[in-house]
Amino acid sequence: MDLLDNYKKAWKNQPEEASKRSTIEIYKLAHSRSASIVKWIFIIGILEFLILNTLSFFMDNDKTNEELNTLGLESFIFYFSFVYYGVLAYFLILFYLNYKRISVIDNTRVLMKKILVTRKTVKQYVIFNLVITALIVLIVTITTLQNEFDIVGGTNIILIILIILVLLVLTLGIMWLFYQLLYGFLLKKLNINYKELAKLDTNS
Amino acid sequence: MQKDLENKFLLDFEANQNIVHKICRIYTTNKDAHNDLFQEITIQVWKNYLKFRGDSKFSTWMYRVALNTAISLYRKSTRKVKTQDFSAIAYKIESTPYEDTEEIQLKALYAAIHRLNDIEKALIFLYLEDKPYKEISETLGITNVNARVKMNRAKEKLKNILNP
Repeated sequence: MDLLDNYKKAWKNQPEEASKRSTIEIYKLAHSRSASIVKWIFIIGILEFLILNTLSFFMDNDKTNEELNTLGLESFIFYFSFVYYGVLAYFLILFYLNYKRISVIDNTRVLMKKILVTRKTVKQYVIFNLVITALIVLIVTITTLQNEFDIVGGTNIILIILIILVLLVLTLGIMWLFYQLLYGFLLKKLNINYKELAKLDTNS
Repeated sequence: MQKDLENKFLLDFEANQNIVHKICRIYTTNKDAHNDLFQEITIQVWKNYLKFRGDSKFSTWMYRVALNTAISLYRKSTRKVKTQDFSAIAYKIESTPYEDTEEIQLKALYAAIHRLNDIEKALIFLYLEDKPYKEISETLGITNVNARVKMNRAKEKLKNILNP
């Protein structure tokens, strides 16, 4: 007889749970608030959309507009906003649809994949935002420097570009670290388990 | 209608709650976490009960929802819990007339299972519950062949832990 067969017998004979829940207790539990990873991903995702857009709202004030006007960028920003909000709507809808598709009735592998895909939508949105921010910073800098080339002078320009680049890399680095921490905390287990199941299919 | 459904759910769940308790024992190591996971599984089973069509047995369906919750949805409680304060499953077994060697074996088995990863736990649990490979592969979403390969590895690992 196999070693595990003995243990299996013990497993089968194990006593029923001593503190069984009554139907009333089950009722209360069933109607309590879920604390699942999926729910957290949804809440954090919505927060990310909100925070990123509140930030751009703050930047969109009269003074900035004035400066953009003097730089001759106002029409660029105008068309750019159209595209930006279109992309935002696209990501929001995609995020919501992906979230709705998550079902605990799916098999384990499909379920994990759907959770990870939902999370990925927000990640792509954040990357999109970072790239756009970097792009705007660069465009504004270049235009400013072009306009004021004579005042600033050649060597200073290189210095200014360097400083801006360093600041940009620093900001992106800090955000990246923050994300690693936040989602590492939330999704570490899920990622490990998904890899474990996926490994199964590629190994044999 | 809703009331009927709810009553049916309560009766079904109550009758099959032992499955959930066993899963909680496998995936958690202390009473608080056990209760947390039990609660989350109850929520998920109820939330999805409408989608249970009755073309499979309720218990079969519940295995999937409960395991999925334990593996993919449940995040260990942030409450700090000392890992030393559990002794295998001592807190669960009460004074049932029970063969001594089997009780020792059961404790050793739970302790060994706790050292497996989440996927291996699911495989071993389904094996101990006598689930056919077809059901195991469908529950986890892997092919039958892979289920067998992975099961053999998990069993080997478990044996090595039990009998080093």
